[in-house]
Amino acid sequence: MICADVERDLDPYIDRELSPEIAAAIRGHLDTCAACRQRVAERERLGRAVRSMPYRTAPERLRARVAGHARRTRSTRDLLAWAAAAVLVIAIGGGGFALVRSGGSRAGASGPDNLVADVVNAHVRSLQAEHLFDVQSTDQHTVKPWFLGKLDFAPPVVDLAGMGFPLVGGRLDYLSGRPVAALVYERRKHTINVFVWPASDATPVDTAQLVRGFHVHHWIRDGMSFWAVSDLNDAELSDFARALQNS
Amino acid sequence: MFEEIVLPHLDAAFNYARWLTKYDAEAEDVVQDACVRAMRFLPSFRGEDARAWLFTIVRNAWYSRVTRRPVAVDPLPSDNAVDAPTDEALDPEARLLQQGDVARVREALDALPVDFREVIVLREIEGMSYKEIAEVVQVPIGTVMSRIARARDRLAAALTVPLRSMERVP
Repeated sequence: MICADVERDLDPYIDRELSPEIAAAIRGHLDTCAACRQRVAERERLGRAVRSMPYRTAPERLRARVAGHARRTRSTRDLLAWAAAAVLVIAIGGGGFALVRSGGSRAGASGPDNLVADVVNAHVRSLQAEHLFDVQSTDQHTVKPWFLGKLDFAPPVVDLAGMGFPLVGGRLDYLSGRPVAALVYERRKHTINVFVWPASDATPVDTAQLVRGFHVHHWIRDGMSFWAVSDLNDAELSDFARALQNS
Repeated sequence: MFEEIVLPHLDAAFNYARWLTKYDAEAEDVVQDACVRAMRFLPSFRGEDARAWLFTIVRNAWYSRVTRRPVAVDPLPSDNAVDAPTDEALDPEARLLQQGDVARVREALDALPVDFREVIVLREIEGMSYKEIAEVVQVPIGTVMSRIARARDRLAAALTVPLRSMERVP
């Protein structure tokens, strides 16, 4: 990532139209390049200036005219039948839309789905705020005791360097209304966050999903709830999850 | 129903039309035209994004009005044309005007070619994604992206004043 790349992608970057990978690469560059940070800041200030323009709302007489037109049109008999057809089409169209929504959006508004969104947010935050570690060490015997006295449970900490997923550190995070352990692993330059806390429901689960471009694996084992998040591809994250589950 | 699909977006439609036309009276006419069309097209509405659907109709209503008149839309410079270099924008001492200077910002927006102005309004004020804007304006997403970038370059140039560097000249 060089300045020319940032300059080319400046607008899609501030408009959040880039893939998470490219956006993260740009954020990485911004950390080290004051000139590009300045470019981004100028662009964002420009956006604020435009957004400060007063919003012009429709005059009342226009609203009344339009609503009146709609009523008159409907009162015409042949158009009434046509309007009924329209309603039918909309009902079908709207119903189909609702179905697609409920089937397709997993990060919806219900409780467990909110948790997935929170987990992904925690992952993104850890990468952005440069607060990935409270304890930075590849030694599980350093990381594990670090959590002692900071959490009311002992998260299992294992190094998976032998499987190509070295442990690089840990930190405290906050999820599901409680402090949780966050273990950080790496695969090439990809960061994997593993969030661990005691499971409230011991029913074993193992799920994988894609949320905002991040792969998320969730499983419950030995009374602990595990969430692994990364921009790593799904195949490798699945390998990682399996390695951790079998450790 | 018309009341549920169109009326909730009437303010947004008016604001968009106002930026297209620059005049209240004309914006009213355009939105009224658009609403009459929307009633007619309602059977073809498939439950997708109602705001983008209505905006597309507003834009078409506006476009058929301006093309009926002898005065054409201010021509859009070809997408291949290179904008004049904006030395001021590159001057590290130059500072973008602070917000609050509404009149200046509006002037700069109104001075943009309409195809540039509208993508900025749809993006910044309506918060539409590039995909939604592409749907409204009926151009490919890549064109939306390049128009937004070039529109912002022009705005930045228009709103940037090398104040500090000028003040420092003895």
